[in-house]
Order: sequence, then structure tokens, then C-alpha cells
Amino acid sequence: MKIAIRHQLSLAVGVGAARAVQHVLLTPLSGPTQTVREWSIDMPGMEGAASFLDGFGNRARLVTQVKPDAELLVTASGVVETTDRNGVLGRLPGEPPPALFRRPTALTKPIGAITSKFRSTPRDGQSRIALLHALMARVGEVLDGGEQSQSQDGASQSQTQAERPPSADFAHAFIGAARALDIPARFVSGYVADADDTPAYDSWAEAWDDGLGWIAFDPTRGVCPTDRHVRVATGLDALSTVPVRSIPAIGSAQVLAMRIEAAQ
Amino acid sequence: MSVTPPFDEMHNADGSIRDPYLILDEWLKEQPPQALSLMRSDAESLFRRLGITFAVYGSNEGTEKLIPFDIIPRIISAKEWRRLSKGIEQRVRALNAFLHDIYHRQEILKAGRVPERLILNNSAFCPEMMGLDPARGVYSHIIGVDIVRVGPDDFYVLEDNLRTPSGVSYMLENREAMLQLAPELFQRLKVAPVETYPETLRRTMESVAPANAPGSPNLVVLTPGIHNSAYFEHSFLADQMGAELCEGQDLFVENGKVYMRTTTGPERVDVIYRRIDDDFLDPLTFRPDSMLGVPGLFDAYRAGNVTLVNAPGTGIADDKAVYTYVPQIIEFYLGEKALLKNVPTYNCTNDEERAYVLEHLEELVVKEVHGSGGYGMLVGPASTRQMREEFRKKILARPDNYIVQPTLALSTCPTFVDRGIAPRHVDLRPYVLVGDDVRITPGGLTRVALKKGSLVVNSSQGGGTKDTWVLED
Amino acid sequence: MLGRTAQNLFWLSRYIERAENMARMFEVGYRMSLTSRREGSASEHLISMMQAAEVEEGFSRKHKQADVNAVAHYMIFDEENPSSVRSCLLAARTNARSVRTALTIEMWESINAAWLEFAEIRPRDVTGARLQELLGWIKQVSHTYRGALLSTFLRDAGYAFSQIGNFVERADNTARILDMKYYVLLPRATLVGGDVDIQQWTMILRAASAHRSYRHVYHDRYKAWNIADYLILRPEMPRSLGFCVSWINRTIDMLEEIYGARTAGHDAADAVTELLEGTTVDRIFEYGLHEFLTEFINRNNRMTDALAESYNFY
Repeated sequence: MKIAIRHQLSLAVGVGAARAVQHVLLTPLSGPTQTVREWSIDMPGMEGAASFLDGFGNRARLVTQVKPDAELLVTASGVVETTDRNGVLGRLPGEPPPALFRRPTALTKPIGAITSKFRSTPRDGQSRIALLHALMARVGEVLDGGEQSQSQDGASQSQTQAERPPSADFAHAFIGAARALDIPARFVSGYVADADDTPAYDSWAEAWDDGLGWIAFDPTRGVCPTDRHVRVATGLDALSTVPVRSIPAIGSAQVLAMRIEAAQ
Repeated sequence: MSVTPPFDEMHNADGSIRDPYLILDEWLKEQPPQALSLMRSDAESLFRRLGITFAVYGSNEGTEKLIPFDIIPRIISAKEWRRLSKGIEQRVRALNAFLHDIYHRQEILKAGRVPERLILNNSAFCPEMMGLDPARGVYSHIIGVDIVRVGPDDFYVLEDNLRTPSGVSYMLENREAMLQLAPELFQRLKVAPVETYPETLRRTMESVAPANAPGSPNLVVLTPGIHNSAYFEHSFLADQMGAELCEGQDLFVENGKVYMRTTTGPERVDVIYRRIDDDFLDPLTFRPDSMLGVPGLFDAYRAGNVTLVNAPGTGIADDKAVYTYVPQIIEFYLGEKALLKNVPTYNCTNDEERAYVLEHLEELVVKEVHGSGGYGMLVGPASTRQMREEFRKKILARPDNYIVQPTLALSTCPTFVDRGIAPRHVDLRPYVLVGDDVRITPGGLTRVALKKGSLVVNSSQGGGTKDTWVLED
Repeated sequence: MLGRTAQNLFWLSRYIERAENMARMFEVGYRMSLTSRREGSASEHLISMMQAAEVEEGFSRKHKQADVNAVAHYMIFDEENPSSVRSCLLAARTNARSVRTALTIEMWESINAAWLEFAEIRPRDVTGARLQELLGWIKQVSHTYRGALLSTFLRDAGYAFSQIGNFVERADNTARILDMKYYVLLPRATLVGGDVDIQQWTMILRAASAHRSYRHVYHDRYKAWNIADYLILRPEMPRSLGFCVSWINRTIDMLEEIYGARTAGHDAADAVTELLEGTTVDRIFEYGLHEFLTEFINRNNRMTDALAESYNFY
């Protein structure tokens, strides 16, 4: 599927700052599930930006401005062609060893109501895949309050967006539970081209299986990501994939506009 | 207290003088009664005038004290030194290889030689360093290995200090003081020079400049500022190397490169000897509330435009819990047996070892895993019942937070104290530089516990220093 | 050189010079309070001295009564007075510590030793003769530092920044010492040229260490006209405004030579120079001495901002 994305953020750095510095993680990379056809980031200072891979294998940019305007405009846009591989990414070159993603973080504290169910479930071979699917379902149950069953098409009619926790909470709950069960799991940020949903810079998770490699799970939607998901950055949790970090910064970057169009 | 007296570096058990000290012994005997007292007060006013002071943590801000300097040098023979330095070199090579491995493929964890959890779940492990290739593969360029001696050929490594070992300025100033106070002794003994350290540090830093730096890279020392307890050392080293001494506010990052603000505008910086802790180095990547660091510095480092000396994340290799695995680490990377011994260490998370520890607290030393400077430490033989009770509770509450070691009978050296010359316990911190080669300065900082019988040599706890002489053949 | 280093050197010199001048100003106020009882009370003399030194406001916030002990404590030892000798010496040492690598050992030792010695003094021990002795010691500290600077410091940009700081501060202080006459109770018309008036002028000359050299230069009684000439225009008088300004120009020209460019700092120096060039004491009195000195102090102050802007102080 061909997905055209235009993502515009605004970043307040305050009036009168002598300099500003940003760490920008808004560059999707080509991989087994996606090929980046074109991509660009437009913002003040981008001409001189340093480009490098961060500790998790993401393409990061270090952008600076001298006497910046109080408000910076960041626009990331491009076209990514995706393939549905049932969430299976396999082993990716240039990435840190999966064991790294067993490291606990403050945002991924395991939630007892989720992990308690799986303490004695077998975790190897085929049973690991089954376990991860069950884990994903359980995360949905617990975070959605356990009342509504998760609708399989991803769009729930009975709930408005505002009532559900943000997708990062689902991803963190899934990751925390997986790590508590000794399964490496990581946080993924990216774009989701839902047919009837507001387009969003979204997040999900990936878990490791020695046989299949990395497998993606979207616990917010209760599915494995398909060709509607575009991966941008991975990390230990949401903190390591923040799209734009800045010094100075007044609050975090605000999304001004988001357009995600999918075409076969 | 141990039954056998500790090893004395000057005297044999029968009271005769050990070889390296023969000439010093003669010299001491020649000194008129008041000479040593005079020398001591000369030394003190020398240090005070030069402003060689340190700030004591927890005392009033701005309180500065002199570290007591003992005028009797500690002497190590050429043969003893060769042995020691071989062991040290082996250790720092292995530990740098270990750092490279755990920040890349993590083979040693896969091989199960070091528990994966101990590294990956450790707060001293820095995931931001994954996959980064520092110049020449060196992570820890400046190392101060803490060594204690318990017998003629018996050396133990206490700590590896791979982050920002301090004290090298004392090594240099102590030598300067001895040259002024007792020049005639240097005529009689061939003492290996330590004065080359700043030049060697410069060479080491130049050798790890980023590939895109000009032929003569620009070096700076980055200090947290004048209120830091080691500020004297920062300015001293910058001065001796001919490098600019910068605070965070003097540096900035633009277009991926690091610059310093000069009277004529920005000037590119290539290698930074930073004396700011990892957490405070760059508010963009680490603690956002850091006022000491340089925003964007870590990214500039990752982008290969500047070298940080030492690299962030080296603390994982001198973590007290990782310390116990150093012999395995040496074997894994170098295929050799460790030349220097580790102090046997009890693991309190192991039920059996913990039980032993709790029963023998009065013979053991308990250290906090992340403590330093002699704080948060129990020295069993010198402890009171109440202190032991306190530590018993602490260990039971957080067994993983403590390591426990037997009390070593640290060697003693003759020391000039109020009542004349008497033996006092010492340790040794030699300084190692790693760049295009491993270079160990012959000598180091000898710290001495000035209180009779005390085994705590930390300056913050009433310890002093001595000049350390390595004899040449 | 780091911009911060230049800034620290500039201020280091200023603080040392200021410590000296605080001692001088206090000395004058103190002597006046002891000797010229006929015109105003002791406390009035001390207050007018503090007005000229611009520390009077801070003092009266803390003290009801301006007696010698309170004023001495405030001007010499008080940590809350940013211009006290103590504050100046501490600030000088703090600046020196941050630029240790830019100083010579001799410069560092002179400041460090001075601070260590000063910090040992117990203020309540310092009265009477001891007070006079201490004032002399403070001046000596400043001379020692300057001596170390002149005989050991490399003649590069760091030297230039130090010297500009030194002379900007000294010019400011001389202008203030001279202006003290304005604040002192003006003598009744009948007394102009009388004992009291002369005594006041003597004090001012004394504050500038100029009461003896005056005789050599003028071979005359103390006269307002001469004294203004001496402290404002005379190029050979090392505390005169003219002397200070010529040093400011000389050293800022060094910066132009080193860096190859003129800056806002040079414009500011020109503005100060203009005020003195071609003027005479007659014209100054015509314009009003107090007004002239106020204008000078303002223009002189602008030097600091201009240098900060031109050489990246921050």
C-alpha cells in the first residue's frame, strides 16, 4: 500500500532564546514491512543538521538555530510503500541485541492485573506467539476497563477517543508485561492509516521471538500491525521515541496538522 | 584486629630495611630533629599558596581544606612496578574490550559469562551508547585503578575507576613539592618522572580526535565550575596541557558540531575531557534539568563530530557488582588469567553468603554498590555494635545494594605524624591513559590513613597523600 | 580566548581596584569625621562619603546611626554590601579561580593570599590604629596584584582586558572621590577658601594619594581650580581621569591590533575621550563640576556594556 504522510508540528522555544537545539526522530527507514519512497523534514536549521543513527538504530537529526523564532514549525512528509507481513519483521541489521529490550523503565512498569494471568504460561516456540497474542488481548481488557470486548476491526463505536487511555499506555502495558515474562519488547512510534479514524502519530509495540525475530503488536487496536502501519522509531519506551525534543522548550511539540492518505 | 602485623613496605619482619628504602632510611637518619617538622610546614604553606584545596561534601559551601601531605615518600622498586603495571594494562585493555562488547553485540552476555540482568538492568548501563563507535574503540581513556598491597608480592585491585578518576593533580603537585623540599634525595635515588603526565594526556586526547578534526585538534577540559570539589584539578590539568578550561556555558552546538565562545567568535572543539557526570552532560539527552551541560553535545558525539573523554556509560564497567566478574572478563577477551587479584567479594543476594556476612560483620567491610569516597561504608573491625546493627538492617532490606569483602590488612608505610615517624596504612592509585596505546605513569597517588590503625584512606575521611616513587633500574 | 575569560579578567581587575578605592573613600570619610567637627557632625561626613561611594542607600537600610564602627563594618566587612572590601576581594578571588589558567602564578598567589589573610580577620578586633593599618594593607593588596600583573603577565588580549578593567574602575572612583565635595555640606559662602573648605579639599587629595604630589606640581595652596585640574586633566597624575582614559585607549588599541578590528568598545572609549579632550578647568566649572562628573561616570559605564557586546562576555 502506498501511504502519503504530511505531519506538521509546532514547537515553542520561548521569546529571546539565543540558541535552540533539537533532537528529531521523524524519519522512517526502509525495512521488511516498508520501503520509503520519498521523505523530507522541513524546519529551520535543517540544512546544517547532523544525521546519525541513535542507540536503537533510528535515524536521528540534531538541528540547531541561532536566535530562533519563539515558535518553530516542523513538517515531516513523504511517501512510504508498505507490505502486510502479519506483523512479522524478523531480524533487522544494525539494531541492538534484543536482550537490551528486557531493561525495565519507569514508563513500562508491569501491571499486576495483566502479568498475573501469565506467570505459568509456557513462553517458547509456538507457545510464545500464542502467549503474546493473549497478552495483547489482556492489555486491551484491562486498559479498556474490562467491560467492552475489543472489536476486531479496530474501531469501537461505544467509546469515544477521549475516554480511552492514549495508545502509548497500551504499548507500555504490553511491553511491561512482556518484559516481566522475560520476553524482550520495545516501543514503536509511527503512523497508522486507519480507514475511518483520525490520522495519528501513533504507537504500538514489538516483541521478540527467537524463531521469527521481532513481531509487532498493536494493543490499542488489538491486532498485529498491517500495511496500514508505518514504523518511524523504536526504543525502550515513549521517552526514547519522542519525535522532537528541544532545549529550550516550552511544553512538548504540538501537532498542528496531520494528513495520512493511503492508496493501493 | 588481625593477629599478624600488616606488611610494612619499609621494614622486614626482623626490623631490617627493605631494599627500595635503604637510601631513604639513610637520609632520614641524617636529618636534624626539627628538619621534618620544618619540611612539613613548608609543604603546607606551599600547597595553600597554590590553592590546592578540595571541598568536603556536606560541609558549608566554599569551605576549602588542604589534603594533608606526608613528606615521607612511598617507594616502589622497578621490579615491583613492572609487575604491577603489566597487571594494570591487562585490566584496562580487558575492560575497554568489555565496554565495546556490551555496547555492541554483547557476546559476553550471550556466552553467559556475566549475567545479562546485571548489565542491562543496571542504572550505570547507558542504552544511548549502543552501536556507537568511539575513536580507536576506546571508551575509558583516563583510568585510576585503586590497588592495595598486603604482602611483598600480594596486590589486590579494589576499584577500577573508569569514569572520572580524580587525584592526578595531587600526584603531580606532590612530586613538585618533594622536588622543592628534598632535592638531594632525588640526586641519590633514580626516581621515574611523573611530570610527563600532562603531555601524555594531551597525546592521548589527540590520538582519539574525531576523523574529521583538523591535524592539530582543539582540546578542552569541561568542568562543572569553581564550586566542584575537584575544580583545582580541572584548572590544573587544563593549564598543564595548554587546553582551554570550559564550563558548559562556554560551549555550544551548532550544525552538529561543538564550538566554544571566544572573544573573536566561535571556535570548533574536537576533544573534550569532561569532568561532568554522564547525567549532567547534555540536557537534551540526559537530565533535562542539568544546568552544567551542553545541549546537543551527546548527539554531536554520536554524529562523530567530537570525542568525549571518557565516553558516557563507562560506569557500567566499574560498578561494584560487575567488579566481581573482572577475572572472567579478562579471560573472555584476552584469553589470559588475571595478573592482579580481585578482593574476594560476598554476594548478599545469595542466602548462604549473606548468612555468613551477617554473622561476621565485625571482620568484614561493607560497601554500598553505588557509593564512593568512603561514604556509606562499614569497616567491621573499627565499627561499633550499633553501626553493625544498622548495617545488618540495611543489608536485609536491600541485599543487592551492598557488596561485602574481607578486611584486608593494607600495607603500611613510614609516615611523619605528631609523635614522629610511624607506620600508617596506605593504598595506591596509579593513573592510566588509553588512546593509541596504553600508558601508565610510573607512580600514582598514595593515600594514607593518618589515624593510627585506620584503614580508611579517603581524603574526605581524614586521609592524606604521599608522593609515590617508582625507582628506575 | 574564551569570552568568559576576557570578562573575568576585566572584572577581576575592577574588583581589586574597587577594594582599594573603597578603602580610600572610607579613609577620607573617617578622617573628616575625626577632624572637621565644626562643619556638620561626624555622621554627616560619613554619610556624604557613602553617598559619593554609592553605598549610602544600602547602609541606611541596615543601620539607623552612621557611627564609625557601623560604617567601617559596612564598607569593609559586610557580605551584604556588594561593594564592601570583603565582597570585592571575594569576587576578585572567585573570578581569579575561574580563570586560573589564564593568570600567572604570581597574580593568583597575590589574590589568593590576600583573600586567605583577609578571611582570617575578626572585624571586632579592628578598631582605632588597627583600622588604619588594615586600610593600608588593603591598598597594598591592590598594589601587589598590579605589580604581579605588570611584571609577569603576557602582553596579549588578556592583559588588555585586565588593564581596561583596572582603568575603567579607577576613573569611575576618581570621579566619585572628586564628586564627594558636591555631597559634603557646602560651606557657607563666607567660608569658601576658609579652613574648612581647605580641609575638605585636602581630604579629597588624600583619598587620591595626591596631597603631597600636588605641591610638587602646583607649588601653591590647595585651590579648587588646581585640584580639579589635577584630578581630571593632568596626564602625569596616575589617578586622574585623563591618565585613566589614555590607558583605556592604549589598551583597547592593543585589542584592535590583536583582533584586527575596531568594535563598539572603541566607540565607547572615544565617547569618554571626547569629554576630556580640549576642555579646560574653566569650562568644566562653567558647565558645573558635578554635572561634568556625572556625565563622565555615565560614559565611562557604557564601556563595560560595549566591551561585553564586542568580545562576547556573557
